[in-house]
Amino acid sequence: MGRWLLLLCLALLYAGCAAKQVVVEGNFPKPLLDPLPITIGVIYPPAFAQHEFFDEAKGRADSDWLVKTGEAQVEFWDTLFAGMFEEVVHIQSAAALKDRGGEIDGVLIPNIAELQYTIPTHTNVKIYEIWMRYEFRLVDVSAVHEQEDGALTFNPDERLASWPITAYGKTPTAFLQTDEEAVNLAAVVALRDAGAHFITTFGSRPEVASWLDTIALRDQQASMSATTPEATLSSDSQDGAPDQ
Amino acid sequence: MRQLRINTHCRGPLLIVLALLLGGCVNATVDEMTYNEPVAGIGESSVVILGRRHAPDYDTEFDFIECIGDHIHSGDPSIEVINEIAFINQFYPWFEPRTAPMQPQAIDFLLQLPPVADRFAEMKLEYMIWIDGKTVDTESTGSMSCGIGPGVAGCFGFGTWGTESEYEATIWDFTDKVEVGKVSAVTSGQSYMPAVVVPIPIIAPVQGTACDSLGDQLLEYLSAHH
Repeated sequence: MGRWLLLLCLALLYAGCAAKQVVVEGNFPKPLLDPLPITIGVIYPPAFAQHEFFDEAKGRADSDWLVKTGEAQVEFWDTLFAGMFEEVVHIQSAAALKDRGGEIDGVLIPNIAELQYTIPTHTNVKIYEIWMRYEFRLVDVSAVHEQEDGALTFNPDERLASWPITAYGKTPTAFLQTDEEAVNLAAVVALRDAGAHFITTFGSRPEVASWLDTIALRDQQASMSATTPEATLSSDSQDGAPDQ
Repeated sequence: MRQLRINTHCRGPLLIVLALLLGGCVNATVDEMTYNEPVAGIGESSVVILGRRHAPDYDTEFDFIECIGDHIHSGDPSIEVINEIAFINQFYPWFEPRTAPMQPQAIDFLLQLPPVADRFAEMKLEYMIWIDGKTVDTESTGSMSCGIGPGVAGCFGFGTWGTESEYEATIWDFTDKVEVGKVSAVTSGQSYMPAVVVPIPIIAPVQGTACDSLGDQLLEYLSAHH
């Protein structure tokens, strides 16, 4: 009996300072909006798709933290882009770029520039927080190149737009909720906030607005040139004279 | 327009002893100011209750919002209360802390988005109720020590702590895009934990009382039967 109690105490002590790991998971809703009539290419760089954040313990009472957000990032942004744009093309290789490059209006490349987190043991405030700063880059298909190792890269001088998106998520401490569950929830809230920030500011960036205008104008001209011969033919057959 | 104030107190040694036996004391104060009450009820329309979560230091608790919704629906089953999380997900990203409308007039902006307007129409939403507030533990005193040894374990001591809840509900008439009332509830109570071998928590239902108080007032506003 005494041995078991000793083991239990040791296990509790170990649990208090063992490394804590969170693989962020969540259900992400599709955004409620009319998709933009755009075919967007998306490149998730390996640092983004496998993103993780490691924080070493500062003291003996503290724990190491490893927060893996990569899978959740890809799942979340896939859902968001699918609701925001008429068509999404994932560009994972130069072959994919060659096959569908002609259809793509622009390529989005997200990057996580910074991630910070706090837990109640850091701040003495009963709130778990995650803050992220993304760097989004929008480039033309022609700016994307294949490196010798097969990875895709782009010429920064050829980008159409580049802008930061900040996101914040917090969750209060709750009864029967572990640190890991609370950090996961804060990360999910931060992802949702990033999506809300992205959607509500996307068209208002001057470079993006100008790019959207160019696409709209191109589509308008294409539809006009496609309909003009038919309209002329129809007019000819009804009136016997060409349109003025 | 109606105004109402309710004060519930727990006084006297007998009550304190009873409270110690059955649960902690809770004081509640409710203020209400409402306009344009739907005298005939809300019919087949629905209501959504949402928590405010834009403050830096607290979030209105999801389970508190659920508690009020359950209270209203159990008081009048004809009132359809839409689940908060389902609503926020269905309208993503328009009701996130960053994007949620702060004034009823801001709904007009959302209605300019056809998919949003269509979904609101499907829901037949008549009232949107925003709850802002929190429950916090305040001062705590007492001490307790626990020991464990071969074949024996136990605690001895006494602890007590206070809890305070403060919530305000703002009712928006979704059809007219105007605010039609505010109801607030402030509750506080003291919880106790005596321990003679086994700790016995006597928890004051502070948040539950705030939920019941706000729920009663909202039910009275929305229901034709109360």
